[in-house]
Amino acid sequence: MKVIYTDSLVIGGGLAGLRVAIAAMQRGYDTIILSLVPAKRSHSAAAQGGMQASLGATIKGEGDDEEIHFADTVKGSDWGCDQDVARMFVNTSPKAIRQLSAWGVPWSRVRRGDREVVINGEKVIITEKDEAHGLITARDFGGTKKWRTCYTSDGAGHTMLYAMDNKAIQMGIPIHERKEAIALIHEDGVCHGAIVRDLISGELIAYVAKATTIATGGYGRLYSITTNAIISEGIGNAIALETGIAALGNMEAVQFHPTAIVPVGILTTEGCRGDGGLLLDKDGYRFMPDYEPGKKELASRDVVSRRMTEHMRKGKGVPSRYGDHLWLDITLLGRKHIEKNLREVKEICEYFLGIDPVEEYIPVRPTQHYSMGGIRTKPTGESPTLKGLFSAGEAACWDMHGFNRLGGNSVAETVVAGMIVGEFVADYCAANALNVSTSTIQRFMKQEEKKITDLLVRDFGENPFQLKAEMQKIMMDKVGIFRNGEDLSQAVEELKVLNRRAKKIALRNRISSSNPELVEAIRVPKMIKLAQCVAYGALLRTESRGAHAREDFPERNDRDWLKRTLTTWKDDSADMPEVFYEDLDVMKMEMPPGSRGYGVDNTVHHPDTVKRELEIEEIKKANPGADRFELQELLNPIPIPEKFKGKNERIGRGFK
Amino acid sequence: MDSYIIESNKKKSRLPARLDFAQSGTGLILGLFMWVHMMLIGSIILGKGSFNFVAKTMELAFLSETGHGFPIAVFFAVLTIFTLFITHALLGVRKFPISWKQHRIMRDQMQMMNHTDTNLWYVQVITGFIMFFAGSVHLYIMMTNPGSIGPYMSADRIVSGNMWPLYLVLLICVELHGTIGLYRLCMKWGWFAGKDAKKSRQALKKFKNRATIFFMTVGILALLVFIVIGINHRDKVGERYGSYVAVEQVEQVEQVQTDTAIAVPAEPQVPVVEGTLESEQAHEPEIVQEVEVTHE
Amino acid sequence: MSDQERVLKFQIFRYNPLKKGDKPRMVTYEVTEAPGMTIFIALNDIREQQDPSIQFDFVCRAGICGSCAMVVNGQPTLACRTLTSLYEDGEIKLLPLPGFELIGDLSVNTGKFMRAMSERVESWIHDTRADDVNYEKLEERMDPDVADEIYELERCVECGCCVSACATKRMRPDFLSAVGFMRLARFALDPRDKRTDDEFYEIMGDDDGVFGCMTLLGCEDYCPKDLPHQTQIAYLRRKMVLIR
Ligand SMILES: Cc1cc2nc3c(=O)[nH]c(=O)nc-3n(C[C@H](O)[C@H](O)[C@H](O)COP(=O)(O)OP(=O)(O)OC[C@H]3O[C@@H](n4cnc5c(N)ncnc54)[C@H](O)[C@@H]3O)c2cc1C
Ligand code: HEM
Ligand code: HEM
Ligand code: SF4
Ligand code: F3S
Ligand code: FES
Repeated sequence: MKVIYTDSLVIGGGLAGLRVAIAAMQRGYDTIILSLVPAKRSHSAAAQGGMQASLGATIKGEGDDEEIHFADTVKGSDWGCDQDVARMFVNTSPKAIRQLSAWGVPWSRVRRGDREVVINGEKVIITEKDEAHGLITARDFGGTKKWRTCYTSDGAGHTMLYAMDNKAIQMGIPIHERKEAIALIHEDGVCHGAIVRDLISGELIAYVAKATTIATGGYGRLYSITTNAIISEGIGNAIALETGIAALGNMEAVQFHPTAIVPVGILTTEGCRGDGGLLLDKDGYRFMPDYEPGKKELASRDVVSRRMTEHMRKGKGVPSRYGDHLWLDITLLGRKHIEKNLREVKEICEYFLGIDPVEEYIPVRPTQHYSMGGIRTKPTGESPTLKGLFSAGEAACWDMHGFNRLGGNSVAETVVAGMIVGEFVADYCAANALNVSTSTIQRFMKQEEKKITDLLVRDFGENPFQLKAEMQKIMMDKVGIFRNGEDLSQAVEELKVLNRRAKKIALRNRISSSNPELVEAIRVPKMIKLAQCVAYGALLRTESRGAHAREDFPERNDRDWLKRTLTTWKDDSADMPEVFYEDLDVMKMEMPPGSRGYGVDNTVHHPDTVKRELEIEEIKKANPGADRFELQELLNPIPIPEKFKGKNERIGRGFK
Repeated sequence: MDSYIIESNKKKSRLPARLDFAQSGTGLILGLFMWVHMMLIGSIILGKGSFNFVAKTMELAFLSETGHGFPIAVFFAVLTIFTLFITHALLGVRKFPISWKQHRIMRDQMQMMNHTDTNLWYVQVITGFIMFFAGSVHLYIMMTNPGSIGPYMSADRIVSGNMWPLYLVLLICVELHGTIGLYRLCMKWGWFAGKDAKKSRQALKKFKNRATIFFMTVGILALLVFIVIGINHRDKVGERYGSYVAVEQVEQVEQVQTDTAIAVPAEPQVPVVEGTLESEQAHEPEIVQEVEVTHE
Repeated sequence: MSDQERVLKFQIFRYNPLKKGDKPRMVTYEVTEAPGMTIFIALNDIREQQDPSIQFDFVCRAGICGSCAMVVNGQPTLACRTLTSLYEDGEIKLLPLPGFELIGDLSVNTGKFMRAMSERVESWIHDTRADDVNYEKLEERMDPDVADEIYELERCVECGCCVSACATKRMRPDFLSAVGFMRLARFALDPRDKRTDDEFYEIMGDDDGVFGCMTLLGCEDYCPKDLPHQTQIAYLRRKMVLIR
């Protein structure tokens, strides 16, 4: 039995995983990162649009600060987020971006003087200030009041990931590539590491650690058409679920991005609309202002996706052999802008569609994009139920996104969560000894070995590729943008059947080393379980909130549903997860539930909302001289790590 | 971890930089020299007189009172070029595929990709390899016979001296190698990159191709002219061209007794037309042999 | 996108070094072409329908991550964004990238190579103050043009095409190769990196470094991200040759 010991084990080499590892290493703890692929190939690299941080250097971001970013984030989440976390996040994000700048990210900078931009379909001249010249600039993104999304042309995620990985290399952090965590080792409610399969040799290795962090990204591949990488299969979430102890939070909260190309589902960044691109229907008509006169194309993602679907249902979609789609028009931005700031988009159009977006419209359609749900953690990043298990990034339900995440808030989350959770991981390593018996490790090892041997010896059975395809189709057709009770119950039943079938997978290629079919056979049953969590959670949640839109329950219902869904899978032989809920306490909210400002407000309000609003009024009245920091302290004192407490400087206003 | 330098105080040798620079430097000089060289040789196309003028000028004839010049100048010029040539060749050899295995890989790679610039490099290696021998022979001859450049002497060397196959090979090699080399130099050091380096590269490549064709044409024409002259002059091998011939003859008679055989009256200064050559075919072949021996 | 269906013939290199007795060979598979089909789609089709053992690497399938470089009809390129309709005769020959450790079939270990490259060129900002930077304060300013220029060089996705397209690299395994030069040029350009020319010389000043490059320009011609290899290697060479 091969066992590798370390202080901190990080599963996942994306932005979140790398940043956690760096934090633990900086504090002097041995750290190993595991990744399915070389770290720089993680899906974080695909983020084109940018990272939100309220630096307020560009003229269109002037006046921006933590408060506004906080409000946008909470509103964006449809009040489903954990406001403590959102608060920590908005305070740390400017620091994160500045640190990344020192580590080498070539953020696009403000250039003094006049600049032509497209706002609301019109060419407008804006004038950047002299004193802002050379500071990190920002672009407009959906659902934000200010221009806050910092970017590097169209490669924000790529440059961030490269800087981060380079930093990890500089620090000598070992990254074990082509390794897949397939089970967590745990005993008595404490996690001790993971059983890991080497994807080249097929060998099983036990990685034993004090603290284990899961940063494996999203689970978009539960859907057949998604913008996600093909490795975004949610295995990290699944192995946490399979402990029976750790819970997954808000799994039904799945975001659809308005503009992925048809048919393959590759994303064209929100930057297209942020920079002035428009959505058109089959008549070339710009329809978004009819639905959302306020923010138009730049309404929140969930809103735009639903409006597009609605519009297509009215017969306004462009018919194609792959079903209806709409047009994204960026031709009005001009060649120069596209070739510089949206080049990746241009390349994608050229290679995959054979069109030049400078001259032609891009066929787009809402497509699965982001997983708000994930491993439920406390604000420290640790699982409330399984000690020593941490999670960060898209894999986690740290819960700053609630039921809908804002564009640009995700890569920001990965880094900020990495910084904050990393500190708590280090604290945990400091406070705990490695205390696990070999027999426990062996037990888990044996268990996984047996599963694999079973697969290799079974003569007849199910084809893993086919099971996966069936699952993806169910999710796409029945657990999509608009949901309803009937489809969802069908999906739940059908997935249950798939779950049973997945216990009888047989292989055609029966070798234990590098074997893609075996990899699939190990993953598919796990993925089906996750799909069940999503579908079941969606069926039970009889309201519409953020990305979760029930046609049969169109209103947001704070009274009954201001709570977080938690899912566990206690008994491995069961064919359904267990679902329970965690209330969000309105009386502790810095920003009590209100209207997001899209469409008609049909919210069923929570009885505490008014109470809390009055309370806040009173606190404000009682402290007339309090500045925003003092006020926030009064409204919602949060435990932010000492390192990240400081105020952030901005041009024109210093640390105010 | 901070800095490479701090960790290892050893300082890397500057030699590779110098050698690379020398390779390019010698290549550049040789490459440009060859352009000049081919233009000079090409003067034969315009007629024996022009070539003769060029040859004499090279011998710095205008400085000498006799108008005879100093063949020694040619000797030193050749020596310089020869040195550059050898230096360049030795530097170039470092880049050759050194083992059969390396050569195999190179060929595999070329076969797989069929990539122009990689193929061009291979052409350079092959032509360089050939020139190492062929060029050395030519330079050695030039160096050891500095005074022997002239329309007739050169043509005789080419035809009766059986140098033409060597020159043909050398010509093809040097034109390919030289122009490719100059193009590569621009790429290597980023010269003439302009605003759009990719476009400039296309332009330079086009220029390179044209230069090859141009110089190759000039060379081949020159060689043909030499061959024609040489064939027609086969019987009078050793005879010199132009007004200085007589003077030279005297000197040579004094020096080398066997030269008497060709102490024929000086030719008229005007370029010889074929008709006149026809009438002069009565010379003894044996003598020709003798003369050649002296020249070798 | 043509609507008429045709049958594509894929000749694929097969060899699993971990399987005893396995020998390198070319195997032909036939796939019915679909509109907009990429090599990514075709290979998955082959794996799912015909031969589940076939190995290849895709991650983003959008031409962004650099995982899927392979040799398609002799040309190193990103397979995921290569449409099958580009090949008129419908014959597509796939080989793994040469010059890297073979994992199996079309899969090669570029990750290992790239990590070693990053360590060799010390692919990070060298500034002793970078770790103690006060991130509460305004970030250090940078000229917008310089930032753009750095990004141009930072667009490399470590796909390895430039490595495989370089005959020099293949003949001399220790040659740093173009991806390393791009990385060095990127840091040499970055005002935040405080390395001196002398320090850079220590990294690349030999025949395994920039002086070993024979300007074959395969790197320039095969880089799927169109990085300016030629001008940047030339820039490094000029910079390094002048050092005393
Ligand atoms: C096309 C696209 C564009 C986007 N654009 C933006 C944007 O502009 N702005 C924004 O804020 N957000 C954007 N996002 C979202 C954002 O990129 C992701 O949410 C974020 O990068 C996730 O980072 P991560 O570190 O959590 O996970 P990832 O970067 O996905 O990394 C996951 C890591 O886990 C490893 N892993 C997975 N499973 C296992 C296992 N079982 N064992 C071992 N290792 C494992 C993988 O190898 C990988 O290294 C975009 C997302 C997509 C899909
Ligand atoms: C003895 C015969 C010669 C040999 C063996 C030889 C070999 C080579 C080789 C191997 C190269 C490639 C160097 C590299 O890739 O870095 C080269 C480059 C070059 N050669 Fe030659 N060469 C010879 C003669 C000549 C001659 C006669 C000329 C003049 C026309 C010439 C001009 C050049 C030029 C201009 C270059 C480019 C320089 C560079 O890349 O740095 N070479 N030579
Ligand atoms: C200073 C040095 C050189 C001198 C003085 C010189 C001189 C000459 C002369 C006089 C000729 C005419 C033929 C003859 O007389 O034999 C000639 C031809 C030629 N030389 Fe040189 N040469 C020199 C260097 C070189 C070099 C370095 C090369 C290439 C490697 C070269 C390649 C050739 C070729 C190919 C021809 C035949 C051209 C033709 O007829 O088209 N020469 N050279
Ligand atoms: S430089 Fe270009 S070819 Fe080379 S690894 Fe980077 S992206 Fe690939
Ligand atoms: S292909 Fe190779 S030789 Fe140099 S120019 Fe590129 S690295
Ligand atoms: S799979 Fe990412 S570039 Fe091809």
